Amino acid sequence: MTPAPTLAARGVSKSFFGNVVLRDVSIALQPGRIHALLGENGAGKSTLINILSGALLPDQGVVEIDDRTFRGLNPRDAHRAGIAVVQQELGLTSQLSIAENIGLGALPRAYGLIDYRGLARRARAAMDLVGLNEHLATPVGDLPLGRRQMVEIAKALFREPRVLILDEPTSSLSAHEVETLTGLLDRVSAKGTAILYISHRLNEVMRLCQHVTVLKDGAVTADRSLEGVEAADLVRLMVGRDTGQLFPQWTPSADCDPIVSVTGLCSGVLRDIDISIRRGEVLGIGGLVGQGQDDFLLSLYGALPASARSAEFNGRPILPESVRNANALGLAYVPADRKREGLHLIHAIGWNLMLPSLAQAFGLSLRDRARERALTGTLADRFAIKGDLTRQVQALSGGNQQKVALAKWTPAEPQVWLLNDPTRGVDVETKREIYALLRRLAADGKAIVLSSSDTPELVHLCDRVAVMREGRIAATIEREALSEEAIVAAAMGAEPLRTAA
Amino acid sequence: MSATESASLRLYWPAQRQRNRGAGGLLIVVAAFLALYAYLFPGLLSVGGVAKFSQSWLPLALVSMAQAILMLAGGVSLAIGAMVSLGAVIAATTMAGPLGVAGGSALVIVAGLGAGAACGVIVVRLGLPAIVVTLAASFIIGGGALLILPRPGGTIPAWLSDWLAGDTPVAALLVVLAVMFWKLYLATPLGLSLYAAGENPDAAYRAGVPVDAARIAAYAVSGLLSTCAGLFVAAKTGSGDPVIGEAFTLNSIAAAVLGGVGFLGGRGAMRGALAGSLLLSVMINVMYFLGFPPVAHYIAQGLIIIGAVALPEFTARRSSP
Repeated sequence: MTPAPTLAARGVSKSFFGNVVLRDVSIALQPGRIHALLGENGAGKSTLINILSGALLPDQGVVEIDDRTFRGLNPRDAHRAGIAVVQQELGLTSQLSIAENIGLGALPRAYGLIDYRGLARRARAAMDLVGLNEHLATPVGDLPLGRRQMVEIAKALFREPRVLILDEPTSSLSAHEVETLTGLLDRVSAKGTAILYISHRLNEVMRLCQHVTVLKDGAVTADRSLEGVEAADLVRLMVGRDTGQLFPQWTPSADCDPIVSVTGLCSGVLRDIDISIRRGEVLGIGGLVGQGQDDFLLSLYGALPASARSAEFNGRPILPESVRNANALGLAYVPADRKREGLHLIHAIGWNLMLPSLAQAFGLSLRDRARERALTGTLADRFAIKGDLTRQVQALSGGNQQKVALAKWTPAEPQVWLLNDPTRGVDVETKREIYALLRRLAADGKAIVLSSSDTPELVHLCDRVAVMREGRIAATIEREALSEEAIVAAAMGAEPLRTAA
Repeated sequence: MSATESASLRLYWPAQRQRNRGAGGLLIVVAAFLALYAYLFPGLLSVGGVAKFSQSWLPLALVSMAQAILMLAGGVSLAIGAMVSLGAVIAATTMAGPLGVAGGSALVIVAGLGAGAACGVIVVRLGLPAIVVTLAASFIIGGGALLILPRPGGTIPAWLSDWLAGDTPVAALLVVLAVMFWKLYLATPLGLSLYAAGENPDAAYRAGVPVDAARIAAYAVSGLLSTCAGLFVAAKTGSGDPVIGEAFTLNSIAAAVLGGVGFLGGRGAMRGALAGSLLLSVMINVMYFLGFPPVAHYIAQGLIIIGAVALPEFTARRSSP
C-alpha cells in the first residue's frame, strides 16, 4: 500500500487565451520519493509547477495538500504548508547578501527586527547542505550563475520544506555541483520530503528518480515507476502526435547553392558555429529552449555583435553588422515575441505592413499614399488578412498578427528568411497557411531558417535540422534521418548522434 | 561555539559593508570637495560653521532619502517638493496656535505619512505608473498647501527656530538621527523587502515577501521625510511659504542618481544618496566662494550628474565585453 501523497493535483486543466496548456492532469507527490516530471518544450511542465505552488489558479481541478483540498491555492498558503519551489528563472535580489536572500520571505525576527544571528546560523546550515562555502555576507550579484542556482536551492531548504519542487535545477550547474545536488536530494528525500524533479537530462533522471510523470501537449502520457524503464522509452512517451494534413507535401528543391556560409561564429552564448544555408531549403533549428537559438538568428541578422572566422552573405564576404546592413544583404527576421518585437500593436495593420518599406525609403522623401494603399491591399489579399487595414493590429487574432509580421517583409523580397518560432500561439488553420508559405518560398529559391520549439514542425517541414545545445550545434540531422526521437535525443544528449552535414 | 565559527557567522556588519562599497568613489569626491570648502572657508571647522553648513544641507539630505527609498522600491516621486511645502505651511500655521509645537509636529508627521501612503496605495494597488500618480499628487498637494496658506506668512515659535537653526549643530545631529532611523528600518523584514520588491517583484512575491506592503510603506516613509524637511525649512526661515519646496523635487532625484541609486529599482544604497546630496550642497557653497555667478551651479550640477551616471556605466561595459 502506498503512503498518502503530501501534495497532489487532481484533474487540473488550464488554458491561456484559448490555448489549452494542461488537460485533466493529475499528479501525486509522496513523502520520501523523488518524482520526475518530463516533457518537451511547451508540454505544460512550468504551468503545472505554478499551479502546484499556488502561483497560478487552475481553470478546473483542485490541489490537495495532505487531506485539505484547495480550489484557490495562493503562494502564502503553499509556503505555510511547506511547499518550496526552485524556479528555473532566477529570483534572487542581487544587492542583498547570500544569507539575506536565503531568508527573504521567511526571515527570523527578534523584537520586530531581523534576527541576524539566527539568520546567519540557519543560512549557514542551509549553505553547508548545498556545498556553498562563500561568506554569508557576499552579495548575490557577485556570484556566477551556477552558484546563484545553489543559493536558490539553499533558499528552498532553509524553509525545511515538506515538498521540494525543482524546475531544471541543473541547467546552469557544473558537473561537481550536480554531484553535490544529487547526493543532497537523496538525503533530503530519505528524511521524508516529497521531491518533484524537472530536468531535460535523462541520465540524471534515470539515476536519481523513482517515479515519473510524462506530459505531452498538456496531457499525462505516463505515470509510473521508473523501474525497468529505458531512456528511449521515455523519449517515445514525450514525442509523437497525430499531425493529420497539417504539413504540405515535402519535395526537394532543385536549387542548392549556399547563400550564407559562416565558420567559427561566436556571439552571445554561441560558441564556434559552422553553418551553411542553401537556397531552396528550410533549415530547422531545434533544441531545448534557450540553447542559443535566439542568439544564432540575431547574430546572422546583425542585431547582436558577432565575430566569425569567415563569412559570406549573398556573395559578399562580410557579416552583417547592423539590421539595416542585413536588410540590404537580403535578410529578414521575424521574432518570436510578436507582441513586443514583431509588431507595433496599437498602430494600424496597414501602417505595420508598410514599416519595413518605409524604413528602406530615403529619409525625408514624401510618402505616396495611393501606392501604399495598393501595396498593403495586395499584401492583405495574398496573406488572407481579413478586415479593415486601418484597425489596430492588436484587434487581430494571434494567427492573423503573425501573418502581418510575415507579410510586412515580402515587398523587400528577402533572399534569406530568419524565423523565430513563427507558429507559437497560432491557430491550426494559420499554421497550415504558414507552412505552405514557407515551402512555397523555398521552392522559389529563397533560404528559410526556421527556429522552432515545436518538434513535429521541424520533422515535417525542414530539409535539415541543426540541433543546438549549450551554444553549439550538437547535431545536424538530414532529411532521411529526421524523426522526433532523433531531435529530442540530440537535444537532451541522450545518445551521441552526429550525422555528417 | 568556537571563535572561528562565530567569526564565519558574522553577517550584519559585513553585509552592510558590501552593500555600501559602491559609494566609495563618491565618498572620496565628497571628501575632496569638503576639504576644498574648508580651505576656502576655514570658518567651516568651528561649531558655528558646522551648524550653518548642516542647516543648509539637512533639507536636501532628507528629501534625497525620501526619493532614494522610492527608487529602491522601483518607484519615483515628483511630489517631493509639494510635500515639503505642505510640511512647511502646516508647521507655520499651527505651531504658534493652540496646538503648539507638539501638536503641529504631530500634524506634520501625520500629513506626511498619510499623503505618502495615499500615493503608495494608488500606485501599488491600482497598478498605475508612479511618475504619473506623483505628478498628479504634486498638483493636489501643492494646491492644498496654497489653500492652507495662500501667501508666505505664518510663524514658527522663535525658540524652535533658534534650537533647530541657531548656532548649535542640531541639524547635524538630525542627519545622524535620520541615518540611524534608516538603519533600523532596513533591519526589519519590511525594510529589507524593499530591495527584493524593487528589483524583481514577481520573484519576491513568489518567495513570500510582502511586496505590496513594502512598497506602500516606502511611500509613507518617503512622505514623512519630505514633510519633516518642510518643517525644518519653515523653522529656518521663521515662517511658511506655500511654494518653497518646488526645487526639491528635481534636486532629490539628482542627489539619488548622483549617489548611484538606479531608476529600475533595487540598485544602490542610502549612503550613496546621502553622499550625493552632500556633494550638491558643498558644490553650491564652493562655487559661491570661488565667485561663480549663482546660476553657474545649475550647469555644473547637470554636468556632474551626467558624469556620475556615465562613469560606472562605462567601467561596467569595459569589464564585461
